[in-house]
Amino acid sequence: MTGGSVRTPNALPIAGGRETAREMWRLCRGHRRQLAALVVLGVVSTAIELIGPVAIGFLIDRVQEGTADFGIVLIVTAIMAVSAVLGAAGTAATIVLATRMYHTILAGLREELVSRALTLPQHVVEGAGTGDLISRSSDDVTAVADAAPAVIPVLTVTSFTIVMSLGGLAAVEWPYAVALAIVLPVYALSMRWYLRTGPRVYLAERAAMSARAQQILESQRGYATVLGFRLAEQRHRAVTTTSWGVSAQALRARTVQSMLNTRLNLGECLSLAAVLVVGFVLIDHGDSTVGGATTAMLLVLRLLNPVNQLLFVVDTVQSALASLNRMIGVATIPVADAPSIATSSGAHLREVSFHYGAGPRVLVDVTLDVPTGQRVAVVGSSGAGKSTLATVIAGIHQPDAGTVARPQRTMMITQEVHVFTGTLRDNLTLAAPQATDAQVRAALEVAQAVGTLDLLPDGLDTVLGGGGYELTAAQAQQMALTRLVLADPELAIFDEATAEAGSAYAGALDRAADAALTGRTGLVIAHRLSQAAACDLVVVMEHGRIAERGTHPELIAAGGVYAALWSAWQAGQETGANGSR
Amino acid sequence: MRTDPMGLGRGPLTRWLPVVGQTAPEPPDVGPFEAGEGDRPGQFVTRVVFSLPRITVPAMLLAIVWQVGEAAVPVVMGLAIDRALVTGDTGQLVLWLGALVALYVALTAAARFTNRLNTYAIQLLQHRLRATLSTRVLHSDGSAGRAPADNVVSVMTNDVGRLANAVLLVILPIARIAAIAFIAASLLVTYWPLGVVVLLGAPAAVWLMGFLSERLARDTRVYQDLLAETVGRATDLVAGYRVIKGVRAEAEATRRYRQASQETLVAARRNAGLLGRFLVGSGAVNGVFVAAVTGLAGWFAVDGQLSIGELIAVGGLTQALLPQMQAIANYSIPNLAGARASAARIMDVLKNADTVASGHDDALRQRRSPLPAQGVAAPSAGVLEVDVPSGSIRVEPGELVGVHADDRTAARIADALLNPWAADDTEVRLDGRPAHELTPAEYRRVVTAAPHRATLFTGTIRDNLTVTGSPPERMDSAVWAAACEDFAAGLDTPVGENGNRLSGGQRQRVALARAFATDAPMLVLHDPTTAVDSVTEQLIAERLVGVRRDRSTLLIASSPALLGCCDRVVDLLDDVPALGKAAP
Repeated sequence: MTGGSVRTPNALPIAGGRETAREMWRLCRGHRRQLAALVVLGVVSTAIELIGPVAIGFLIDRVQEGTADFGIVLIVTAIMAVSAVLGAAGTAATIVLATRMYHTILAGLREELVSRALTLPQHVVEGAGTGDLISRSSDDVTAVADAAPAVIPVLTVTSFTIVMSLGGLAAVEWPYAVALAIVLPVYALSMRWYLRTGPRVYLAERAAMSARAQQILESQRGYATVLGFRLAEQRHRAVTTTSWGVSAQALRARTVQSMLNTRLNLGECLSLAAVLVVGFVLIDHGDSTVGGATTAMLLVLRLLNPVNQLLFVVDTVQSALASLNRMIGVATIPVADAPSIATSSGAHLREVSFHYGAGPRVLVDVTLDVPTGQRVAVVGSSGAGKSTLATVIAGIHQPDAGTVARPQRTMMITQEVHVFTGTLRDNLTLAAPQATDAQVRAALEVAQAVGTLDLLPDGLDTVLGGGGYELTAAQAQQMALTRLVLADPELAIFDEATAEAGSAYAGALDRAADAALTGRTGLVIAHRLSQAAACDLVVVMEHGRIAERGTHPELIAAGGVYAALWSAWQAGQETGANGSR
Repeated sequence: MRTDPMGLGRGPLTRWLPVVGQTAPEPPDVGPFEAGEGDRPGQFVTRVVFSLPRITVPAMLLAIVWQVGEAAVPVVMGLAIDRALVTGDTGQLVLWLGALVALYVALTAAARFTNRLNTYAIQLLQHRLRATLSTRVLHSDGSAGRAPADNVVSVMTNDVGRLANAVLLVILPIARIAAIAFIAASLLVTYWPLGVVVLLGAPAAVWLMGFLSERLARDTRVYQDLLAETVGRATDLVAGYRVIKGVRAEAEATRRYRQASQETLVAARRNAGLLGRFLVGSGAVNGVFVAAVTGLAGWFAVDGQLSIGELIAVGGLTQALLPQMQAIANYSIPNLAGARASAARIMDVLKNADTVASGHDDALRQRRSPLPAQGVAAPSAGVLEVDVPSGSIRVEPGELVGVHADDRTAARIADALLNPWAADDTEVRLDGRPAHELTPAEYRRVVTAAPHRATLFTGTIRDNLTVTGSPPERMDSAVWAAACEDFAAGLDTPVGENGNRLSGGQRQRVALARAFATDAPMLVLHDPTTAVDSVTEQLIAERLVGVRRDRSTLLIASSPALLGCCDRVVDLLDDVPALGKAAP
């Protein structure tokens, strides 16, 4: 089935079965001896567990012959007890070994996944949507980890039990095994039917559940919007409709499960009937005993449960495999080493062009020098290519044509502020892990953030993000500025770094940004033209090209695009300041 | 596929069967659950699980047939071996084969219908609980004055699911107890001393296994918490991806993740060890118990007290007894414990939503009025007044009034206008009447407050614009006024989850267009263009005046361009010290 969802051409890759197998085999390296030990241990311990039914059959024959006495009963009981304890110990050891291997390999894989996810080129991630990457590194990891308790015993002990019970049956009372083989097609057909129907139905159920969670989440996050726009009734309806949508899917999924159950019960009933008929015929001909028939029946009974488990766990295995494919798809994306030219004297672009995927060119033949220690402002309307220029200079995007030279230590702060879950110290030292508390405090001082950030309830140990202390937008921006100061880059790029603070604190943030830039080469994507006016050089962008460049007074005097923007902006400032039209 | 419309994978053999027990397409109209003042969680669980007797009683009866049927399989097999195989009587063989088939038909059918009924009961309860929470908490009218907490999402999914699952407690354990009684009766009838030994020994064995599992269960919770933390860390890092890229912290971020991941691995390995210990213990207890009973039965058989068939049946019954008891210990008891914990959380959430509101006028407790019919002329605005400690604001009908205030005051005013019932030191009056004396429906019919942190809902741009019930013909002017024309040429572009397919500025402009499209008599806007570039912002300021002509608008903003287009600006900033005044 491929028709499920339409995949965008930019979607992150999903590994195929063969690729996944190869990667798993590679990850098993260093565990291969353990793997062999596991198979031996599993086979031996499930074989030991066969002793019980055989002993019961022996006892029954002796009783029927009238040759049993207290001693034989005692010996049989002891053998059963000892083999049960040994078998339990062996299977437990098998499961422990397998579970530890599983988790070790999974840990390796999830670490590779996150490490690769963070080094992927940004346009790859953004083309596919961050949501996809998040779901692979969270939902898929959880799905594979949670599958362990269901999958591991089935893949090890259960399958060994099936093999050994069948083998034992063939060894002890082979005609019964032949009778059982006749029932096998029922199971094979059930399995085929279930693999065709089950995954589709479960997928629909899970999709309905995530749609429901999404509606609830949106109502919760959008509480203010719901309230302000009187949407409560309508959102309530959306939530209850998706909620009821799940029940239809859930009933359908359980119906399919019942249908599988019916098929499995048919198989069971036929197996047991086969044992009775074969036993009847054999005993009639004197080829088997009542004890033999009982052993066969007990072996078949202990076989049925694992077979059912195996079929029921098939879809867990399938969805864990699907998750694994998605994880390995990302973990094995080859990394192209980005060719970069490091300089120690500002940043230099030569005829740089860039486009996103198959889109139009966003940057066209841009040539720009940002001299050491100078501050350059980039202005222009939305969609002119300002932010793209910033990311290309920062090295986040690789140009399609032309060359970019930048200092080794280049950093960028974007409009997007993200507060990571962890302490304030963890957040600040992200780009400077070795920094001491004294250095952190000094950086807070430089970024003029002491007053705001140092007053948090537990100082540097205040837990932020997630369920922790919630920073205001302005505080989060100040944190980002401090992080940059602490990391001390040669070239700092601010992409509307103080934009969200389009508020009364804008002035304070502007001064903090100014302080953070002092002593570095700076590139500022200016939101307010007042920022541009304070820079050494102003670059005006239009449709991916540099339309004008010069100092603020030069450009005003030239009377071009910048002068027009400036006067429009000034007009807005003045009317606002006057407080009337 | 026409013959298999449900997608159940029905082949030519089963297609003709009617599909029964599926749900109606429309959600049922279900009444809310009431959680009384002094209710304890246990009482709430009881109320919930006993609320559907017409489904649960038949389900329970069918479950008894199913479980007793399963327990009877080894008995029938033992009798068949005894009567047919030992004697070689063909008639007996046919008879017992028939009995086996009949038993399987009965237990399969019973299992099928009870499972269907169980699922239906669970889903119905989930829906009813969810609808209750949706009305009372998630979509409360706001008179409670508190936004639903983050945990409401997990309460409405996980806890509701867990509590609804408790309905199985009045179905499955009862059936299992019936099966245990059946096994006990069979053993007692076969040879009573054996029955007594088994009935005394089995609970002891199960208790021992339960005791062994406790430590494992505790450790499993620890491990699962750690796993959730590691997964959460990955989500956090990927969500903050741009920040990490910007400051080149990929290596450090990976190192931190690896550290969390390795801690989880240590916990997982320890947990596997404890699982192994439990498996050895429970396997040994089980095996020794079965061996002892078989030995005892063998001894009685040697003694001539038991026939061969009875010996076989005893073995089978003993083996069937333990799983039944274990299922009660392993599933039903945790199910009850989980349901009680979830019930407590659900009651907490409900109580939180109620206590704040209980102080208000009873009129507020009435449920929301239905959406106003489209096309009906909206009521006129009247005069809006807002009093804050640092001043007061007055909006006459048809006026566009700007408010310039520091962040905190601005947020306080916006919150008070969004929810006048929860405001502390800010009073909102509509035509002279304090807003908190109005019902939410009366107030919101006049005042539409667009929050600064606007949420876009999953769907297209058009879905988001029409969500408020605005007529389609108003779309174009609203989109134009919010300067969305550069990206919203096709209104059918999906916005993505939380609008994540749009940039910050685009999201804000769609939200603004949504506010304009309502054509509300009184519209409150709070810093609507902070992520929009200055040129576009200027454009919006110019167009805003036209689209809100003859309507009242209160614009809380710090942008000079926006304030510049207002009829009047109330400046509350005078007494605020330097921080805010330093704008160039």
